[in-house]
Amino acid sequence: MLETRLNFKLLEMCADCGACYNVCPSCLHIEGYDPRAVIRDILAGTHERWLTSKHIWQCLECHHCLEICFQHYGFENAMTALRTLAIKKGITPTQVKKGWDMFAKSGRLGEPSPMRKRLGLPEPPGSAKEEFLKLHSLYRESRLPRKGKV
Amino acid sequence: MKEFALFWGCTIPARFPFLEKSTRLVMDNLGLPMRDVEGFTCCPEKSLVNNVDHGMWTLTAARNVAVADEMGLDLVSPCTGCISNLSTVKGELRANPNRTDEVNTLLKQVGREFKGRAKLTHLVPFFHDEVGLDRIKNRIKRNFSGMKVVVHYGCHMMRPYHAIKTDDPLNPKKFDNLVRALGAETLEPSTKLMCCGQALDRVDQHDVALHLARIKLLELKTIGADALVLCCPSCFLQFDNNQNLMEKDGEKFGIPVLYFTELLGLAMGLKPDELGLKSHRVDVGPFIEKWEALVQKTRIEEDIDEELNKEAFG
Repeated sequence: MLETRLNFKLLEMCADCGACYNVCPSCLHIEGYDPRAVIRDILAGTHERWLTSKHIWQCLECHHCLEICFQHYGFENAMTALRTLAIKKGITPTQVKKGWDMFAKSGRLGEPSPMRKRLGLPEPPGSAKEEFLKLHSLYRESRLPRKGKV
Repeated sequence: MKEFALFWGCTIPARFPFLEKSTRLVMDNLGLPMRDVEGFTCCPEKSLVNNVDHGMWTLTAARNVAVADEMGLDLVSPCTGCISNLSTVKGELRANPNRTDEVNTLLKQVGREFKGRAKLTHLVPFFHDEVGLDRIKNRIKRNFSGMKVVVHYGCHMMRPYHAIKTDDPLNPKKFDNLVRALGAETLEPSTKLMCCGQALDRVDQHDVALHLARIKLLELKTIGADALVLCCPSCFLQFDNNQNLMEKDGEKFGIPVLYFTELLGLAMGLKPDELGLKSHRVDVGPFIEKWEALVQKTRIEEDIDEELNKEAFG
């Protein structure tokens, strides 16, 4: 399943390289965060144990690894793939679940604050909620690949 | 200058309306042709939406770009996340016509079409490149000469570079240039480009989020920064809100956090109350007081100069 989403040839290089360990804030500052260990398990097909690990959620998606990567790949891709898999299995951080539910219901992650009025701000522009909900349901019915490209 | 649409995103209007206020005030002050546009949704946020469903992430972002495409407007956003997400999807679709066709098949059913023509720019590079340092300097009533600040770019202002292309992703300069144009000295801490770490708060890892915020705040305290200047609501949440939470628990940092639009507003002569600086969790007072004290000092020095001149030249 992960083969369709990740480029294993590039990940083989990642498993040995680690150039990004010097710029990745999580590698530098979070104990036990070791993307190469995760990638080696992905390549060996033994990644299951990571789905329940807090480490796969510690990639900050800052894209710093991508910018210095010799392959312009970065291990962020591996973390995202495992997160998606974990969510599919129902292993979802509460905040992610809450965020997604709000997004799916309204097309937004929070409504404009009533405090805006007191600050003399204009009425917020409409956010096309109905159109968004329609698009979302069309999408669910469609066969648009959900896993995306690599 | 061509008219442009403001893409506010979700976080600023929902949680930090005072940041919307300062953005509007400085844009008005500069007389920029900004427009509010109906029909934008969440950009959508990558760590929440893309992890769950890449297709929906792509489709929603494509729809937002399509709204701007139809109106023939470019987008400017005071949120780094929005710009990075929208630009990433725009780049992916433009590089992949088959995927664009799939997306447009769905968009067509709600009367939209993604063309990817709208230019998407974060407020900081927009002010640097489009408004220009000279035009900004002309509006300054009082600069920050004598103040030392640290600029925090926010990763998504310039990364991923292949999609955003407005500044060097590993050695960005534009934000520093703008802040220096306001007269402030910009310090260079070793953690300058380190990600704020706020994303961890969105995945139930609050303590780790605090751990990352602490690393930077401690360095800023050590090097004597008068303020941290940034332009991203997520970074603002991390350094203002989370700094305040740690201070409540007895840690001491005392680093005021200023949005770029607030710093610019102050330089333009807008009052701290008008800019909503009281809404910050971490007191901005020490920054303002030090700045005020510098004016007093300058005035005293000017008075002395005047006296001496009188004595010397009559």
